[in-house]
Formats: sequence, structure tokens, C-alpha cells
Amino acid sequence: MPVFQLNVNGKGYAVDIDGNMPLLWALRDILGLKGTKLGCGVSQCGACTVHLDGVAARSCSVDVGVACLSKITTIEGLSYDGGELHPCQKAWVDLGVPQCGFCQPGQIMTAAALLRANPHPNDEEIDAAMRGNICRCGTYPRIRAAIHKAAGDATS
Amino acid sequence: MSKKFKVSRRAFLQTAGVGAGAVVFGSYLTPALQAQGLISNLINGFPVSGVPVVALKVNGDVVIIAHRPEMGQGIRSSLAAVLADEMEADWKRVTVKQADADAVKYAVIFPSEVPTNYPLPHPYEKIPGTQKPKVQYMVPPEGSQFADSSRSMTAYYTVMRLYGAGIRLAMIRAAAKKWGVDPKECRAEKHRVYGPGSRSIGGRSIDYRWLLLGAGKETPTYEEINAALKKPEEFRYIGNGKEKMPFVDASDMVQGKAVYGADVDVPGMLTAMIERCPVANGILLSYDATPALAVPGVRFVLPVLPSGYPAGGVGQGFIPHAGVAVVATNTWAAWQGRRALKPTIQWNKGPHKDYDSTEFRKELEAATATSDKTKRVRNKGNVDAALGTPVKATYYVPHLAQAPMEPPAAIALFKGGRMEVWAPTQNPDGAQQLAGQVALGLPPCPPNDEACQEKMRAAATLHMTLLGGGFGRKSKPDYIVEAALLAKQIPGVPIRVQWTREDDIKFSYYNAASSQHYEAALGADGRPTALLQRSALTSFFGTLFPNFDTPGLSAAQVAGAAVVRAETFGGGEYPYASGIERAQGLEDMPFDIPNIRIENCQARNHIRVGWMRSVANIYHAFGICSFADEMAHAARRDSKDYLLELIGAGRILPLSAEEVALYRNNELPVEIIKVPFSGGKITQVLPGFPPDTRRLRGVAEAVAKVSGWDEKVKQYKNMKGRGLGIAVHRSFLSYVGIVADVSLNDRNEVTINDIFGVIDCGLAVNRDRVMAQMEGGIVYGLSYALLGEITVKTGAVVQNNFDDYPILRIHQTPKIHTYIQDPPADVVKEYEGNVPPTGVGEPPTPAVAPAVANAIFAAGGPRIREIPFKKFVTVL
Repeated sequence: MPVFQLNVNGKGYAVDIDGNMPLLWALRDILGLKGTKLGCGVSQCGACTVHLDGVAARSCSVDVGVACLSKITTIEGLSYDGGELHPCQKAWVDLGVPQCGFCQPGQIMTAAALLRANPHPNDEEIDAAMRGNICRCGTYPRIRAAIHKAAGDATS
Repeated sequence: MSKKFKVSRRAFLQTAGVGAGAVVFGSYLTPALQAQGLISNLINGFPVSGVPVVALKVNGDVVIIAHRPEMGQGIRSSLAAVLADEMEADWKRVTVKQADADAVKYAVIFPSEVPTNYPLPHPYEKIPGTQKPKVQYMVPPEGSQFADSSRSMTAYYTVMRLYGAGIRLAMIRAAAKKWGVDPKECRAEKHRVYGPGSRSIGGRSIDYRWLLLGAGKETPTYEEINAALKKPEEFRYIGNGKEKMPFVDASDMVQGKAVYGADVDVPGMLTAMIERCPVANGILLSYDATPALAVPGVRFVLPVLPSGYPAGGVGQGFIPHAGVAVVATNTWAAWQGRRALKPTIQWNKGPHKDYDSTEFRKELEAATATSDKTKRVRNKGNVDAALGTPVKATYYVPHLAQAPMEPPAAIALFKGGRMEVWAPTQNPDGAQQLAGQVALGLPPCPPNDEACQEKMRAAATLHMTLLGGGFGRKSKPDYIVEAALLAKQIPGVPIRVQWTREDDIKFSYYNAASSQHYEAALGADGRPTALLQRSALTSFFGTLFPNFDTPGLSAAQVAGAAVVRAETFGGGEYPYASGIERAQGLEDMPFDIPNIRIENCQARNHIRVGWMRSVANIYHAFGICSFADEMAHAARRDSKDYLLELIGAGRILPLSAEEVALYRNNELPVEIIKVPFSGGKITQVLPGFPPDTRRLRGVAEAVAKVSGWDEKVKQYKNMKGRGLGIAVHRSFLSYVGIVADVSLNDRNEVTINDIFGVIDCGLAVNRDRVMAQMEGGIVYGLSYALLGEITVKTGAVVQNNFDDYPILRIHQTPKIHTYIQDPPADVVKEYEGNVPPTGVGEPPTPAVAPAVANAIFAAGGPRIREIPFKKFVTVL
């Protein structure tokens, strides 16, 4: 099998795997980064969201052969540069967003990409960006509030 | 009566591991035992929990054991905070540690100082042919770790408080002895005991760590600890306490560090994916392993069930569906191997291969159309004489899937004749026993055979991970049995079974499909003089136990199943509903009507049926709360005013006087248990939870007020396409009122603008998590009301994933306004000021669907009598 060079959270990995393996399984099974979750496997729920060159992408539906062309950031690397939590992570804790917590890494990765592209989204913009992420516990009202809060932190 | 416990260290050590017998129940009452545990800590140099739920380290830090499963309800934080609050622990010095499955250890035996002739949670004595258990439990082993029915806090609140107060009392006494003062003049505050005199003028204080040995010699009695419990206004963290409640997992969760079922990494682990028979009870005929084995990384292709094993499905409990597993070095290889395997499998699809849910709906509705073959479950007055020309309506709720975000996953390792399991489960004890049964290769235990159950438990260890949502799905350990069955075939290798979303949607234990029929006669004043209700539902009975008429059952199996059904489910016999299902909004219909007859119809299972968040309350609340609104419209009255009249002034429902044989009150006592102590004082020691419509009325009035009902009704009268709907429901001992505010435009597109929700759950221990459960429970209710439907054709579930089994998304979520309502003052008084906490996980959900249906009708839309609403209005 070919060897792929993956750049994940600023670190280089050479992995000898099937190029059709979805990035999700390379992250979880090969690199041991378990913060990225399987929710649906078909880009319906966003639990597996990572950043490819800073843009939110569903790792269940991006092959390793494609992902290796981008800088990959996972929930484990969202705050890696300073060690301090990302404003979204902070706002999520402050407002007690998580219930079971399983979808929240994906929610936070989508929200972080949103704030990068649009530092002050209104409710409609938040809904448009976040509607691909399902939360079965129903934490949506607090997710909205936390994104607004993080947007405030990010600009202050 | 006052009796000191005297327990030797040897006796403690003998019993601590097992938790059986009154002595160990005493352990929480006698910090002597606590301190003996501490002494062994000192000797060993590291903390060892000598008692079930709490240990103190040499430096005074506290380790609190989270023995219940955490699935998003926040119980790891909330129960720990109850104990920490009563013991006056400084939360900075508390850590929470997750327990393994150990149901007997965490069971709670009735306090030995409490006379034993008090009503028990399980009314065994009322069931013919059953006997009182040898040991009387406050929380029996089968319920000690089972996270279902929103019972974690209700069951353990008093227990955790007694532990905490016992430790605080012992610390205070130890300090008082040290100083030679009266303990009554001392108080404890955040890990310190303070002596007489104020801090500023030379009063003494001492940290708990220096009191460990002294506290260990104290032996306060049950009575003394009970008397030392804090008053609600003295709480530090819980309730209205002044310090913020902890949320122990939040930080890990947002960083991707929280460990769920599939995240556990056991060295050498292989991953299995399973292709299952799409029809319940179908069996495997043949398969060809060759194409799957050709996929790189695939190591084994194996049938899940040993030959001769019954295939899972109707009547087979937690035995998994027949299936073939592809076991590989990673998930993707297993996934691809499974794809290659699928076309090679031949199934015998068995007795349910023609099941069609659309046809079955007609059967259910035919059953509720007449009183033939129904069982009368409640009766008051004479309905037939009063009915005349009734208002009538029939409602339908389809099968629904729980669909937790985390698809089921479990890891099992078979080694040295034992099974070790890592899994997200609501049912640790059930899963542990089943894993042990697989390890030993034995048939299931006969009912109530405790020795057999102990043998099963001893053959397996189960480590609980966090659950990525449960909602009832993960109280069924079939996926754990799959992992164990595969591990047994590959000894020494840890096997992880990973489900896909399609597996989760197609192989759930679905909420029952149900038809609800109502007829009411309205008097001259518009109020009902008679109500007839018929409920048909596919009981989970039919899934858990073999049908009595299943061919090939031995007489012993039939007799055994009958005993378990009678004991566990209140005497109902399949294909009628169980006592548990009847007590979820059917028998306890709350309205004050002179003539009432409630009937339960027959309905058979053709698919696995289980629990989904709020269970039978889903269809019972949808039916009765919609019908209340239909009666209001028939009487030309305001829906809210009419609802309040239906509830009446409020009372405790006199169910036994109305022919309800055995009301299963969420398995908890109806009456408050009071006990005479020395001096003749009769005090509440264990709460009771009567169905009390004073509290239902309280939430109805409160939700009308916070939603601005009266003003908005006037305003919306002149607005096209805007409406309000109201519904109230008691479930899992809590009371919830919901008001929905919706818009419906000319294109029949519905928008839910606002949902107002009010809950009376007694003491709201963790107010922030109660609010979170209200918000989430409302979203869960909206999700199934608008979108939820599982259909079955030729025995197999039609839906696949979130595209055809949609879940509510953020842009469909309205503004949600939630409120915690105190119980009415007269109720508070009856509880001597301490209203105990009741469920919050499930209660927010049932009233949502009818409130929205009523609002859509008020907005000029159709009267919607079935779920999902998207069949009648467009949900954008």
C-alpha cells in the first residue's frame, strides 16, 4: 500500500494505508486521535468534523488520499498553539453546553470555522453554518448562545 | 429506639466487598467503618475505597464514586455534589471516579432501625405466588446501577445525603472531643470544623484531614444522622446553594478527551462489524467468507450466535439478531469486508418476514375501536350510561428509534474463563450478567435465582465508559452480548463491535407503535361527564420474554417467564400492556371526571420493542392532551381555562378506589414512609410520590403565566396563521407544562416560534442540569413530533440513516424558555419542608407533541392526530 504523508495538528505522520480509507478511521484507528467521532458515516450529522486548511470538513467522507493534500486540524489540535482553550471551548464550558458531549467536538470544529470566516455571525448565520451538525441531546439553544459568547471573546 | 452499630474491622472487611446484609447498610451510618477504611489507606499508603460511594485520602481529599451511568444527564456531577454538600466538602478537594458494574455493592438495604412493616417500593406481597425478598431494599440490585426511568437522583438522593451527613457529624464530634467542647457548639464548613466563638476573635478551626482518626471512632446512629441532615436553605452546592454546581466532564468533553465506548483502546484489539438478519427471529442459513477474507486487514469471518442458540428478536430479550461478523485490524477494513460479505449470506427470515407496519396500524386501530378483548384497567361510575353522543377521536404514534449520537459499541476480552467488557451502557448489571453467561457458556438463570446471578456476575467484569447518549437504546445490551459472543470465539484477543448509524436505525428496540381512542360526553356546561379511553400498544413484554404460546417452550420456561412478568411488570399478561406501561399516563389519567373507564387492548410484537425517552408517556400524553384540546374546542372554550377545569382543584388520585389493581408508581412508594423515633417523634425517612394533581395544576398555571397565554390568545385571535397550544403531563414522578407558539403560512409551512416549559421536579438538585434536560427534552419531543417515524416492510425496517430518519436540527429549533416551579405550599408542608427530587431526564418530553399539535390547530391548521406532523404540515 502507498505511504501517505498526513499533516495533523502541525505534526507530520507517514501512514501506510489504503488511500480510500476515510480520514475519520485514519485519525481514530491509525493515529489514535479519538476526539473525532463516528455519528452517521455519510456527512449527515457532523460528529466527525475536522478542519482541512481551516475549513470545516466531514472526515467520514474525505479519503486519506485527498486529505493528505491539506493541513488537518482535529479537536485535539484546536488549541494546540498556546495550550489555552479555544474561545469556543471556553464558551462551551462556561455556558454548560454539553450534555452527553459526544457531538460537541464536531459542533465546536464547525463553530470555530464559522467564526474564522465570520467573526460576528447573527442567529441566521449561525443556524446556516451549524445545521449540518446534529445534537440528539438538543443542546442547540446553548450552542447558539455559546457561539455568540465566543464571538465576543474573540474580538475583545 | 436508639441502637449503636458495633462492627469490628474484621466484620467490615468481610462484608465491604459484597455489600449484603444490614451491617453494611450501616456502613454509611457509621463513619467508624469509613475510618477503618482510612486506616487501611494509611497502612497501604494509597486510597482504597472501603465503603461503596466515598473514600477519604490521608490528606483529607475526597474521592466520590460515580456508580451510575453518565449519558448526558449530569449524574456524575449531581450525585457527587449531594454527598459533598452534606459532608461540607470543599469541592476543590473532591474527585469523581467512575465505578465498574457491581450491582449488589451499590444496592441499598432498608435501614435496620426502620421497622420493616412499611410499604416497599416493590409491592411483592400484592402479587399472587411471589414472596417478599429475604433482604429488604431501598434500592434493589436490579435498580442500583440501571439508568432508566429517570430514577438516579430520586433513588440515591437520600442515601447520598445520609453518607455525607454521617461523615460531617463524625468530624464535628471528633473536633469537639479534641477541644473538650460540646459538639452542638461546633459547625462544619468546607472541609473544616469550627469551634465555639467566631473566627475573628480567636475561635478555633481544624481541617478534616487532622480529624480522620478521631472521626473513625465515632458511631452516630441512623436517628442522629437523620436529624443532622441540612435544611434546604443550608445547601452549599445543590438546590439554591450559593456556590456553583460542579460539571465534572465538561472540560474533557469540549477537548475531545472524554472517553466513550468506541474510544477505549485495548492493546491488540480487533474491530468487528456485523451483517445482521434484517428480520427479527430470522436465522442464518449460509454465507461465504471468501470475499471478505480477501479484503486486506480482515482476520476472521464468524457467525455471531453459536449453533443451537435462539436468534434474537421477539421474545428473546437481549440475545442479538442472527449475524455474521467480519473481524479486522481496523474499522475501515471491517467495514469493507462486511460489504463484500453481505451478498453471500442466506437467511431464513422466520415468522415475522411479512410484518408490515402500515397493515399493523389497522390492527391496532381495530383493537381500539371496540371493547371486545380489552382489559379494564380503571373504572369509576358508569361510562356507558353517561356517554350519549360523544366527542370521539383516535390517535396514532408509530415506532420510533432512540438514535443516540454514539452508535452502539462494546469491547470484550475472553481470557482465563472470564469476560472483561468495556462499554457504554445504561444497564451495567444486565450486561455484566449476560457477559458472564457467555463466558461460562450457560443458559440464562431461572427467575430470582440469586446464586445463579452471582455466578454470572463473578464471571465478568464490566467497565463503564461515558455514553454518547442513551435515551433507552443502551439499556438493551444486545451489542455487548455480540462482543462477548465474538470474544469467546477468539480467546485472548479484545474484540470491539462497532455499529454504524444504519445498524442503529435498523436494529433498535423501538418505542411501541400505539393507537389511542377516546370518547367523551360533554354536559350542559361543556365539561365532560364521562370519559372512555382505549389504549393499544405493542408491549416490551413481548420482546423481553418468550410468548406463552411460542412453540417448543418447556413448561418450566413458561412458568418462569410468568413469575418474572408478574413480579417485574405488575401482573399484566402479554399481549396486554405491562403494569409499567399502564402507569405511564394511562391508569393515572389525571382529569377529574365523574365517570371514567380505561381499557387496554391486545397488541402483538413483530419487531423488537423497547424503551425510548419517556416510553409509554409518548403516546398516552399525545392522546389525552390532544383530546383535552378537542373537548375544549367542542365546548367552545379557551384551551387553557378548560384544561384547568379538567384538572380541577387538585387532589391525590384515588386510583385504588377506582379499580386500579396495582399502580406501578415508577417503582417507588406512593405514600411517604414515616417512622417513630425516640421521644415519640414521627418523621419522614423515605419519601413517597403520590400522583398529585395539585402539582399538575401548579405547572399548568405557571406555564400559562410565563407564556403570556391570556394576552397572546386575544392578540392571535385577529392574526391569521398564529396559534398557542398547551399540554401538561406527569411522568417519572415529575410534573411538566408546555405551551407552544406556532405560525402556519399560506403554503402550509409550520414554524415553531417559542416553546415555554415549566417543571415541578421537587427539589431541583442541579438547577443548571434540570434546565439543560428541559431544553433537550423539549427538542427531543419536537424531533419525534414533527419528523419521527420508523416503518417496517417485509419484516425489515425501511429507514437507514439521518437522511430518512431525520432528527431536529438547529435551524428548526425554536426559542426555548424553561422554568423550575416549586411545588404548591400545602405539598411542601406535607413533606415537612423537604420535597424530594424526582425525574428530569424523561419528563420534559411527553407534553411537547400535543402542545404543538394543539397550537397548529389554533393557528388554523389541521387537527393532527398522528405522529409525525410532517405528513400534514411542511417542516422546513
